[in-house]
Amino acid sequence: MTGSATYLYAITRPLFDDGFAASGASAGLHGVSGAPVRSIAAGGLACLVSSVDLDEFGEDALRVNLEDLAWLERTARQHDEVVRAAARLTTTIPLRLATICADDAAAARRLAELDGQAASVLDDLDGRDEWGVKVFAVEEPPDDAAPIEPARTTGAAYLQRRRSQLERRTARTERAGQFADAVYRQLEDCAARGYRHRPQDQRLSGVAAPMLLNAAFLVDRQRAEEFRHMVGALAADRPPDAIVLTGPWPPYSFASVQQP
Amino acid sequence: MTALVEPRVAGRPASLVDLLDRLIGAGVVLSGDLTICLAGVDLVTVKLRALIASAGDTVRSE
Repeated sequence: MTGSATYLYAITRPLFDDGFAASGASAGLHGVSGAPVRSIAAGGLACLVSSVDLDEFGEDALRVNLEDLAWLERTARQHDEVVRAAARLTTTIPLRLATICADDAAAARRLAELDGQAASVLDDLDGRDEWGVKVFAVEEPPDDAAPIEPARTTGAAYLQRRRSQLERRTARTERAGQFADAVYRQLEDCAARGYRHRPQDQRLSGVAAPMLLNAAFLVDRQRAEEFRHMVGALAADRPPDAIVLTGPWPPYSFASVQQP
Repeated sequence: MTALVEPRVAGRPASLVDLLDRLIGAGVVLSGDLTICLAGVDLVTVKLRALIASAGDTVRSE
């Protein structure tokens, strides 16, 4: 497959009709395949786009490329950079990775279909950022690690000890789950909305402890300090790295519009 | 009173996995007209296969 297509990054209000290039925000800003980022307008909305090559972003090519970690990382980071550039200027609905239309006219038709819905999502996102909070089951050292003295251990004593080890472990797991729920509920009170992503696989999180909570919160900028301090207070009496804050993010987890 | 404790903030750039949670796992569902079929693929599965394969390589090479 040859030819080009239009890759979509983010929807905004029509500020970008002529303002994106004029604002200087697009200076040196390149899209996922190196082409400059442009703005197209339709239906009372604007959308940041760039041209991509179907050899790289056509459907068949994407199936292959999405499995290539280096390609995936490069593309995701560039997509994120464009979305962040938009979010620095104005309220932004980020689009999913690899949202691609045949050409600018097709992208404009998609935008026009979304008009009323996207406008109300933008209103909802005004003045708010996303923050991420991850909670890990980093516990005090396990109390069942104490070595058993073999000479003094009878079979019955061993079984008894083993049973209480398992009970303690189960109780710890339950406490950890309850702690994660409590963290989520408390932070949700300080946020406009919360969203629980699936906890990340331990092999991917980079932390040698199971992830208990992988949450995102949409927080009013005016309450960002309060939110951060709340996370800090929750983390203060936990082991280091038990609670990790990320952000501010563009509102990736909260800009939900459905295809009409 | 809430103690004024600064939380531990993860450094930049964001971890790839955190980013992919957001760019693939959540967010706007707007199908590009060229990628409608692709949206039917479980992209999260694609992502995890790629990442786990890579993480495995890293572990083995260490």
